[in-house]
Amino acid sequence: MRSYRTAYPFRWRVMDTLEMLARVLWPNRFSGAVPYLMLAPAVLLVLLLVIGMAQIADSSLHVLDRSTFLPSADFTLANYQTALRQPLYWMIIWRSLLGAAVVTLLSLIFAFPYAYLMVRTPSALLRKFLLIALFLPFFIGQVVRAYGWLIILGNQGVMNEMLGWVGIEPQRLLFNYPAVLFGLVQYMLPFAVLMLAPAITAIPEEIESAASSLGANWWRTFTHVILPMSKPGLVGAGLVVLTLSLTDFAMPAVLGGGSQDFIANAIYDQFFRTSDQGMGAALTLFLVGIGSLVVGVIFTVFGAGTLAMGRGKK
Amino acid sequence: MTAPLSKSIVIWVMVGLVLLTLSAPTVVVLGASFTSGNIIVFPPNGFSLQWYGKIASDVGLRGAFMRSLTVAAICTVIAIPVGTLAGIALAKYAIKFERSLQVYLLLPFTIPLIGSGIGLMLLFGQMGILGQIWPIGIACCVINLPFMIWAVTASAANLDPDLELAAANCGAPPIATFFHVTLPAVMPGVISGSLLMFILALNEFLVSLLLTDARTVTLPVQIYNSIRSIITPDLAAISVVFIACAAIIIALLDRLVGLDIFLKSK
Repeated sequence: MRSYRTAYPFRWRVMDTLEMLARVLWPNRFSGAVPYLMLAPAVLLVLLLVIGMAQIADSSLHVLDRSTFLPSADFTLANYQTALRQPLYWMIIWRSLLGAAVVTLLSLIFAFPYAYLMVRTPSALLRKFLLIALFLPFFIGQVVRAYGWLIILGNQGVMNEMLGWVGIEPQRLLFNYPAVLFGLVQYMLPFAVLMLAPAITAIPEEIESAASSLGANWWRTFTHVILPMSKPGLVGAGLVVLTLSLTDFAMPAVLGGGSQDFIANAIYDQFFRTSDQGMGAALTLFLVGIGSLVVGVIFTVFGAGTLAMGRGKK
Repeated sequence: MTAPLSKSIVIWVMVGLVLLTLSAPTVVVLGASFTSGNIIVFPPNGFSLQWYGKIASDVGLRGAFMRSLTVAAICTVIAIPVGTLAGIALAKYAIKFERSLQVYLLLPFTIPLIGSGIGLMLLFGQMGILGQIWPIGIACCVINLPFMIWAVTASAANLDPDLELAAANCGAPPIATFFHVTLPAVMPGVISGSLLMFILALNEFLVSLLLTDARTVTLPVQIYNSIRSIITPDLAAISVVFIACAAIIIALLDRLVGLDIFLKSK
């Protein structure tokens, strides 16, 4: 018996049982369904979000139904009209859109040389240093970073102290629009660099040499060769940064001090301060709409298919 | 060929600014956590570890940190099988409606976090599971799932269908083939994806803010709530816990798969 055990170890027995089970439960003629079976758990998980969105839609109708007792079809419109008739929301929407655009532009401008140097440098050490300097803030989280900026930009903070050394009066650096935008740019830089880097890697270095041997100086090489060729990365990075900063909550809340609300903050306030679920839900769907619209416009202007950036294959 | 001086200057000035902006909060938080004063001033007055002692003995903070760890662990444990299977399926097979399916699986990215959070809050509320820890883990898993799938598909280039056929030819049944041939090929993606999922869930703020109450508050939410009242050095010491976690994950990433994996073009 002992020799049987060594000849047929436990692991093999487990595997054979599993194989047999698989054969019984899933015969070969079902094999066409295997990929769908593998995708099913992911589809089910994301379904939670879809149900959640349906709940939001339902919630916005529900409140209005109770207040007016009229068929719900009219209420959806009335709900959005009420939300959009308030100048406050328009101001917040405008602030978010403008902020997101500025943040996207700045993030792309500053992320590009960083990604370029990281990809092109011959020194493995420098590359590792740049990668670590990028990942550390990326992995630290928004709240901690915002807290760091509070220490730096506060009235008795590092920045004002240093300004004091050169004889400048303490400035109010926090709780204004530029502070929020600055915090957002810092938050977005790692995303932008990580989306840009693969696109720059894909540009062969020889093409740059070719451009310069044909007489282009580095600026012309950059504008005529590198920039156009890294378009997929720019669009991918731009999309991610734009949507993330448009819908951000923490930076406006912490660095804006309540005076620089973005759309997400307004939604939060509707749910938890005013407790007007219907209005909050309407605003949420409106934000989803704006986000999709922005993404759609970028797709039509800069070409589709770049969303595959986030995915290995098309 | 050496780069012209003006190009080097432009690149280095901009990279220097980015480096400064990226590291400033981390450095300042680190510095502030070692202060011996009761408020944060610059330059810090004296060196002490008193704030670390303070947070170590704070039961509430320890509880919040343990809850954050639990959430991150649940998120990662779910994401590994779900994301790996989905990633392999997307990379290996020709699937009907592949494009629509990809758009669907990218929904967690395209729906704003506040929308996902509130939707899940309403859904969990109706199911009566709001106020427990594990739904937060599931929520973090859902909103970050594309990262996991992306990481797996990115390493699927190593996936050679001939190898699987060879295994079958040598008599390996399907499950053995999967564990000995398919899975090892995408292992770097699984590792980097799961580390990403863990650290993102550990740091997750907005969705946790919506799904937690006073009893289930996670550490980032706890920090956020304290920031609004008053800035004290103990917050800096807690933040250093996050910095340490981030450093550990980066070290693991570098050891197990190499950070360069993120620079590869697909």
